[in-house]
This record gives sequence, structure tokens and C-alpha cells, in this order.
Amino acid sequence: MKKIKISTTINSKKYYLDINPNVTLLDLLRDELGLTGTKRGCEIGECGACTVLINGEAVNSCLVLAPQIDGKELLTVEGLMAEGKLHPLQQSFMDHDAVQCGFCTPGMLMSSKALLDENPNPAEEEIRTAISGNLCRCTGYVQIVEAIGKVNK
Amino acid sequence: MSTQNQHKIIGKSECRVDAWGKVTGRAKFAEDYNVGHQLWGKVLRAKHPHAKILKIDTSKAEKVAGVEAVLTAKDIPGSKVFGIVVSNQAILAEDKVRYLGDGVALIAAKTEEIADEALSLIEVEYEPLLVVTDPEEAMNPETIKIHGDDNTFVHHKVRKGDVDKGFAEANFILEKKFKTQFVEHSYIEPEAVLAEPAEQGGVRVTGSVQNLFSTRRSTAAALNLPLNKVQIIQATLGGSFGGKDEAMTSMCIRAALLCLKTCKPVKMVNTREESMLESYKRHPYTLYYKWGVKNDGTITAMEIRIIADGGAYASMSPFVTWRSVVQATGPYYCDNVKTDIYAVYTNNNYTGAMRGFGSPQVNFAIESMMDILAEKVGKDPLEIRLQNGFERGAITATGQNLEHNVSLKEVLQKATAEINFQEKWKKYRSEPNTQKKRGIGLACSYRGVSLGAEGTDAVGTIISVQTDGSVIVSSGITDMGQGAQTQMSQIAAEVLGISMDRIQFLNTNTSRVPDSGPTVASRGTIMGGSAAKKAAEIVQATLLTTASEMTGLDVQSLELKDNYLIDIESGQRLASFNELAAECFKKGRPTYGFGWHKSPKTSWDEDHGQGEAYFTWVYGANIAEVEVDTETGKVDVLNFVSCHDVGKAINRGAVLGQIYGGVAMGLGYGLLEEFEIENGIPKQLNFDEYSLPTSMDVPKIKAIVVENEDALGPFGAKSIGEPANELAAPAIINAIYNATGKRIYELPANLERVLLGHKLVRPKERGSVLKEKDIQAAMHRAVYELLPDGTFYAEIPGLQGVYANAKSLEECREQLQEVLEKEVA
Amino acid sequence: MKPFEYISTKSINEATQVLSEYKQDARVLAGGTDVLIELRRPHAKIPKAILDISYIESLNGISESDGLIILKPLSTHTQILKSDLVRKYAQLLGIAASQIGAPQIRNRGTVGGNVMNAATCADTVPPLIALDAEITLRSNGGSRTMKLVDFFIKPYKTKAESDDVLIEITFPKLPSNAQSAFIKLGRRNALSISRLSVAAILMQDKKGLISEARIVPGAALPTWMRVKEAEEMLIGEKPSLKLFTAAGQKVSEVMISYTGRRWSTEYKEPVIGVLVRRALEGCVKD
Repeated sequence: MKKIKISTTINSKKYYLDINPNVTLLDLLRDELGLTGTKRGCEIGECGACTVLINGEAVNSCLVLAPQIDGKELLTVEGLMAEGKLHPLQQSFMDHDAVQCGFCTPGMLMSSKALLDENPNPAEEEIRTAISGNLCRCTGYVQIVEAIGKVNK
Repeated sequence: MSTQNQHKIIGKSECRVDAWGKVTGRAKFAEDYNVGHQLWGKVLRAKHPHAKILKIDTSKAEKVAGVEAVLTAKDIPGSKVFGIVVSNQAILAEDKVRYLGDGVALIAAKTEEIADEALSLIEVEYEPLLVVTDPEEAMNPETIKIHGDDNTFVHHKVRKGDVDKGFAEANFILEKKFKTQFVEHSYIEPEAVLAEPAEQGGVRVTGSVQNLFSTRRSTAAALNLPLNKVQIIQATLGGSFGGKDEAMTSMCIRAALLCLKTCKPVKMVNTREESMLESYKRHPYTLYYKWGVKNDGTITAMEIRIIADGGAYASMSPFVTWRSVVQATGPYYCDNVKTDIYAVYTNNNYTGAMRGFGSPQVNFAIESMMDILAEKVGKDPLEIRLQNGFERGAITATGQNLEHNVSLKEVLQKATAEINFQEKWKKYRSEPNTQKKRGIGLACSYRGVSLGAEGTDAVGTIISVQTDGSVIVSSGITDMGQGAQTQMSQIAAEVLGISMDRIQFLNTNTSRVPDSGPTVASRGTIMGGSAAKKAAEIVQATLLTTASEMTGLDVQSLELKDNYLIDIESGQRLASFNELAAECFKKGRPTYGFGWHKSPKTSWDEDHGQGEAYFTWVYGANIAEVEVDTETGKVDVLNFVSCHDVGKAINRGAVLGQIYGGVAMGLGYGLLEEFEIENGIPKQLNFDEYSLPTSMDVPKIKAIVVENEDALGPFGAKSIGEPANELAAPAIINAIYNATGKRIYELPANLERVLLGHKLVRPKERGSVLKEKDIQAAMHRAVYELLPDGTFYAEIPGLQGVYANAKSLEECREQLQEVLEKEVA
Repeated sequence: MKPFEYISTKSINEATQVLSEYKQDARVLAGGTDVLIELRRPHAKIPKAILDISYIESLNGISESDGLIILKPLSTHTQILKSDLVRKYAQLLGIAASQIGAPQIRNRGTVGGNVMNAATCADTVPPLIALDAEITLRSNGGSRTMKLVDFFIKPYKTKAESDDVLIEITFPKLPSNAQSAFIKLGRRNALSISRLSVAAILMQDKKGLISEARIVPGAALPTWMRVKEAEEMLIGEKPSLKLFTAAGQKVSEVMISYTGRRWSTEYKEPVIGVLVRRALEGCVKD
């Protein structure tokens, strides 16, 4: 199988990679690049645990073929912190008890980051829609919705 | 002891000790562990739900380049079976497979792809047996046996008074049948482990394990090793809800077997499909409730018969059904009770522990019965519960005298007042039939805390103050996301007068803390917390003694507060906590405390079904307000009130989180979730078909936390994890009735049940002919065509002669399957 | 996933050339929300090559020209639901797009993929058929245009040849006297697969009489079609609950005439009628 050369930016860092084309972005991040913060839950785009941002849009990395990130800009949970400081969303999740087992948390953070970048003061319905592709079995979503709503308040 | 208002940390929504790692992506879950030269372990699973194994030929698989081990049952050096109560679950099936999730052989290979290829080359010869899927059929003496000579493996009973006399006193009899479904735990993290050869022989397994000590026992027994050579380390756990117990035990043992065989690290990770296929579920129950009732609403007799589908293995069924039998009457007065519960083997997925542990099923029946009774005697749901509900001093069905603060009526009143229950209930039931109808429903319960008379109930927690004043805490209680580590840290911090940021909590390691039993039964806070308190008090005593020597003041006049040593009288800070810790080190004093907490005594007489089942109880009430689309059967939950007496909320935010999450899970149980098994073959293996509630399905939830401190819990705390999950479904079902006047007797209340009153059932296939997975796969490839004459034509590309033609698509599909089955045979 | 060759292109010509060379051995990849799920299945047919068309810019975008809306196939569901043109001239399509899966799926999934994959539960297809959409396919041999309704043969089977690339979907803007609706019934409020759906468009004349009606059920019939028998009942009539209920019943009858009575009919028979009625009611709101 022919390897594919791609260049991409992940968490503001430029990568030039020689990759097998038959892997998903999720596998590339976790297995090749060691970015294990992105979680593998269902691999069919139903749970949202693997959500990352591509050019600012939330996507399930399990449904992206790795070569498809050529020329794109990615953000994963590892890239949320800046200069050693938590992103306001991360801080808000901590402050509002929005974390329990934490397995859905990276995906939740990425979906809500995409939302807030576009709409800094979303209504509750908009928040619920934005995270509707992120399943959480622990929290009942209540404190997550609260945490996202209070980031810019 | 400080009083309620003086707590510095108890009762506050302190940030979770594990939150930082989880929001930054640095928390390491089991699949995130990798080491050099690790092999991939894979399991070959059964091809039939019930079959004799005639022959296993692994020779082809062994020859694949990159395969380092192929194991079958004969390669297990020690015990070939495991099981906490009944040891009959095969690590690898030897002579017989009993459900589709059974493992038959193991592969360790250099890559996952090689392992997969090798798996496909293992040849297993089966002799299919009749598949038993209906538990009531399984009880029939004529039915084929799955283990031993009886498919019924549990019968618990409760006997109180004389039910015949009770029914004779009754004005009328209420008799109803209820059914519940298989439920998948649906932790979002699939199971994973990494097994490594340990330095002095033995093995170290890091994994997503809920109950480390039972897993260690089983692993050691299988490997023929002493317990000290087997180390099980808990990775950060991505949810469990009771689910990562036996399902993880088998994975740990299998990985450890491969690891010791190859002397290399072995990683095993389940796909979601493997997870759902293999893992155990919440028990489906069939419940027969018969109540004798007087015209005024008094209950004179309860006769209850319950059959639980235990699936292929015993697992936790004996304990799950025991909790059910104890709680089967609900928190209601009744002098004459006769309850029988049976657990039976079938070839379905085995069933075991899941949040609630035998209570969601009985609560659905009890709370439905209560509303049926209210309707019958012309009372509202609150009145009937207040009339029959327990108060302090009540004697339960098992003869236990409830001597603590029985707050059932308090939670009922607080919940109903919050949402104007009675007014809404009256209004909704009299509204005319429209497309969208609202309804409101109430449910309440009592629940025994911790393990009760199930078994030994004791926990160890260790606190170690470092020379710089930072603190390390560890415990035999595990954190699965519920926040046990944070609660125990808060208790330690409160006693030591320090801030939470000083505490580092270590994930549980079986070699470093004493066997504390399983983290189940909502016992984390009450048991682990009590042990943490004792450990902290030991360290506190050392610190204060040293402080007294340091300052020349009496121990009684000193206290630890806000990271300082304080002179109580003047309020003056005498030394920092760091200095005090350093001083202890200088003086050669151990700032190490080991706290061991054993629960108060409980008792049980199995023959008569009587005893002090649990040392204390909690009380809760839930209210659901729904909107029912009367033309499609779609139900939306609009509002929800959940009121629970938790004794004392150690961490308010965490308690709320448990309540919200419990309600959401209960909503799924009531409306959406059903793991269907047809002829032993599961129909839903991933989250596309198994529907969990999303953020758009769970409503705003009003949580009311009632705090009647219990003398038997740390700072008065009891429990909330499971109580929060056991009432939402009946509240929703009662709300649907309030809206539509139609009662749902089978869960979940999905579109079809709400609209039609029953589930749609595909016509049953003939006999017990087994559908092989290959047939399923081929059927997926089938193509159907609507011919010009209006009939359907189907074929499977690549399989000549396999075609069907029928009037309807469904008929066509069935015909095709028949043809295919004949072809394969 | 088993190995395959990955080919990415930025031009339609190159894409059709690759396809004419590989024929059935190539699989076109756009958003990946269907293809990646298929490739992961244990018994998946792995193609020799994956042709990634997601970098072909000329296949992306929503525009208008001469009274037509031109919907390029790589337009994602998110682009559709945010499009002002769609909101103004094809409201029902925007509603359908907004109810697909969840944001992550809508950000990747494309309308072209929805059409070409032809799954029974494809939510953008009933609205597009109701909008009288045409599609243009291009292969090495040239382009051809056909009505979308004629494109589907049966679930997962279309008239596309293995070397065809979908390059355009067009439909006339709905006139100002038209109103449209799309109703989806799923088991939950997000991430749900259509149990049943209905797309409807009604136009009324100045007297308030229905001058045109289009009804397309989803996940109900072996393939998508307008239910003419029900549409004809509405023409020349004044909107009323009775009329819409009757139209719903007609759709239900037609459905059964195609599918026969099967185990799920007991539910679908009444409910498809209800959804049709509600969709029609949604088309006469002020």
C-alpha cells in the first residue's frame, strides 16, 4: 500500500507526515501521534468522544480518513491550554462539576469550543444542540450545559 | 466534632481531584497505556449461542507470521472458571458455549490486523444445541439444561404474616404483570487492559476495572499464582455503572494468560461491538404482583412472584435478586407478604450488576401498582403514598425495625410541592384528548445502603502526609467517575484542616491497599469515607501531639484549620501545616494513617426471608412531567424533580451530578433503551441502534437534596449513586398514564408501546435453527428489487442460486434467509 | 481497515478518469460519514481504491441562477441549514438538514453523499424530490441530467454508473405562494434515524385554493416517490383538517399497496397518515 504525504497543522504545530491511507484520523492521532486525549468510543460517529475541530468545525475523527486532513488546521483537547493556562471552557467545566468519568469530556469540550467560537453567548437550546452528538452516560448533561453557558458570563 | 455550619470543606462543591487531568486530556484511561513491544490480544468468540464444542483446531492460526501465542481452555494452568458467587463462568469455553459472547480461543500477535487474520483461521467444530431464550420456559423441567441439572439457580423468598388471611380481609384484589428489558450499561469507554510481566514473576494488569480485588482473586486462581504475584491497577475509568466487573475479570485473566505465555506485554481492547456482545446486562424481570386492598386504600396482602433472566452465567444474580426480594414491597405497610424471586439460566447475555442492582425493576412494578391502587380507590398518587408509606419505627417486610429518620414523607412532600404536583395531576387527567397531551407522574422508594447482609462489608483507606505538608491518599474504593476519590479527599482535608489542593489521590492498586471488597452498592462514600475519616483522625492525633510538644499547649486547645495549627482560644496561627509535618518527621513520628471501617451488623435468615437486611436506608421521590404525542407515541420529558435524602452531601456538586445522571439513565430505561436478543443473537451492538438519551432528550432537572444526617455515616453521609437511578422510569410511566389514561406494563415505553399498547414483534423463526453470523453478514449484503409486477425479488451478490421472490419485502427477506440457511447447511 | 489505494484529486475530469479506469473497484469518498462506517464493518467489501473528491472546490457551494437553486454535491448539511437561499426558497430542505444526526455529522456529511448512498432513511432526499430536483452526473463519456425521482432503483441502488460523479443538484426556487414542511419521526431528539418522515409542499391560488401539492414520504416506501394519488385529492380544494386527514389516509393506503402488510405495518399505517396531515398543516401556517 502506497503511503501518502500530507502536511497539516495540529494544535498550532506543523506536521509533515508519511501515512498509511487506511487509517482514520482518530487512529492517526492516538496511535501515531500519541495524542490520546481524543477518545475512542464507538467508531461509527454516534458517541462524539473522538470529536476534534477541523478548520474550526467539530467532526468525529473516527469518520475522517487520515489523508483528508492534508492542508487542514486541527485542534484537539491537548491544544486547548495556552501558555500553561486552562482555556476558559476547561476552567468552567471544572468549576461547574461538569466532569464525572471524564471520557466524554474532551469531545464535549471540542463541540462546545466550536459553538462558542461562533456564538459566544448561546441560549440553552443552542448549547444542547451543539453537544447533541456527544453522548454522556454520567452527568445527564445538566452541569455540562451550565458550564458552557457560563463561560462568557 | 465540629457541627454542620463549621465545616470548611464538607458540603462544599469542591473541585474534583481528578478534574484537571480530565479536562486537559491527560487523564490516562486504560486504552491510553502503551509500552514498547506490546502484543495485541484478541478473543475468538462463540459462533452459536448454545452448542457443544467438538474440536478446536488452532494449527493454521499458529503458523501466521507475527502470531506469538494461541491459547484455548486446555492451556489455562489453574482454575478454568470464575465467578464471585457461583464459580461457573468459563474463561475460555472448553466443552460447551452458552451464549454468543463466550470466548473460545485467544491470540496474541504483533498487530491487531495479524491477530484478526489468525482468529479467522481457527477452526471450531460445534454441535448446536437447542437455544433457551425465555426464562419461564427455562424453568420447565423438560427444557434442556444450561448448567448442571436445573436452570433455576436462585430462589429467594420473604415470608411475613399470612397472605391468605390478608387476601380474605381485602375488599378487592389487584393483580398485574410487568416486564422489563435487558439494559446495556453503556459506559462510553469500552473495556481495555494492558498486562505486563512483573519483575519478580507474576503479572501486572492495568485496566478499566471496577472491582479490582475480585478480579485479582480470579486472575491469580487461573494463573495458579499467589495473590501477591498478581497486581491489578486501576486506570482512570470511563464509566462503569456496575458493568466493569466480570466483563473485566475475563479480560484481565485472558490478557494475563497471554502475557505469561509470551513473556511480553499484551494489550486487549474491545470494540464497542465486542463490548456489547460480551458484556452482561441489567436483568430483565417478569413480575407478577397481586395485592389485597381495602376500599380505603389499605394494603392487606402482597403476593409477589418474580422471574429474572440470569442469562448464561450466575454472575451477580444471587445478590441482585436478593436486593429485589428485600425491597419488593416498596416502603409501604403491609402485614402479610409472600415474595418469591427466581433467577434462571438462558442462552441470552448473562446479567449482573448494574446501577440500581435489582431495584429499578421492582420499583417499576411497585410504583405502577401504587398508582393503579390510587385510581381504584379514588385518591391521588400523593395521598395514597402518604397513607401507606413508612414512618420511623415501621417494620419492613423482612421484619426490620426502621429506627433511623425515615424521611419518605418528607421527600414526597418536598418533591410534590416543588412542582405543584397534585394540582397538575388533577388538571392533566381531565383535559380533553388532543394530539399532544401533558401528564405528571410520581414515584418514591426506599433503598438499603451498602452491601447489607450480602456479605462482609469493610473498607481500608490510607492517608500519608509528606514532609512538605502535601498529602497522598489511597483506598480500596475505586473511582469510576462518581467522585469517590474527591469525597474521601474532602473528608481527609476536613479532618486535617487543609485545603484540597494539597491532596494527591492515587488510583487503586491491589498490591498497595488492603482488599476492601467491591466498589458497588453506593458504598463509596459511606464506607470509603468512614475509613478515610478514621485514617485522617489517626494522622490528626499524631500532628496534634507533636504540636502540643512544640508549643507547650494542651492538645485540647489546638486545632488544625486552613493549613495552619491554631490556638483555639486566641485564634492565633502557631505554625503552618508544612512546618508541623516537618516537625513530625524530625521527631521520627509517622504521619501515616490507615483507617479501616467495618459496617454495623446486618442479618439474614434465608429460610424464612427475614432479617435486618441493611444497616441503614435512604429515601427518594421523583416526579416526571411529560408530553405525549398521542398520534405517534413519542414521549418527551419536559420537567423533572428528583428529591433524595442523602444523609449529608459531602460534595454538593457531585451529589447533584449523581442525581442528574441517575435521572438521565432512568429516562433511557423508561423510554428508549432495550437490548434485544433474538434466538440468542443480540440485535443492537453499537450506539446507532442502542439509543441512549442525548442532551436534547434529557430535560432540565430540579434536584432537591435533603440532609438528615445518619449517625452511621461519615459526617452523616449515606448514599446517592443508585437511589438517583431507580425511580425515573416509574415516574415517567405514571406520567404517561396521567396524560393518556393508558398504562404501560412493559419497559421501555417506546413509540410502539405508547401508541399501540404493545411492542412490534417480528414473526418468530421456526424452531431453534441457529443463524450463524455468516448468514447475518450475507443477509446484510442481500439486494432487493421491486419487480414490475409489484413483487419483491432478492438475491445475494456472489451467491448463485440464493434468491427469493415474494409479495412483500419482509416475506422476501425471510424467504431469502431460509434459502441461505439451507445453502449453508 | 484493510489496505487500499488512496487517490485524491482537485479536478472533476481527473475524478471521472480515475473512475473510468477503476470502475467498481473504486469507491468515492466525500464527507466519509457513510463510507467510513461501511469500510469498518467486519465483512466489508474493501475497494481497490478510494477516490477522495472532497478537495474538488467546484463541487462545493450553494448558489442561484435563472430561478434555479444550484446545490453542489459537496455542500454539507451544515452549509444547507445555514444557507439563506435554502431558507428563502426551499425551507423544507433546511429543516431536513438540521435534523440529521448531530453537528459533527452535519459538518461532514454532504448532500451528494446522501443522494448517492441512497439509504432509505436519507433525510435530504424526500425534500429534494418534493422540490422537483434534477441531478447531473458526469463521466468520461459526458454529462447527463435526470430527475432525482427517477434516479433511485431501490435502497442503496441508483442508476449511477460506476464511473459517474454527481456534479450538481438543481431545483426551481419555490414561488412566494408556496409553503413547505418536513417532519421527521425518530426515537429520540438527536442522533436519530428516521422511523418515518414526510416532505410536503403546497401552493395556494389567490382564492386560497390549493393549486399544487407535493407529498414525499421517507422510510415508508421501497423507494422515494411523490404520492400522486394523495396530491390529486388536494388540488382545487380549500385546506382543511378533513382534507389533510384524508390525504394522509391515502398515503397510508398507497404505502401498504407497495409494501404489503408486515410486522411493522400496525404502527406505520396510522402514523404515516398523521405525519402527512401534520406536514400539510405545516404548509398552510401564516
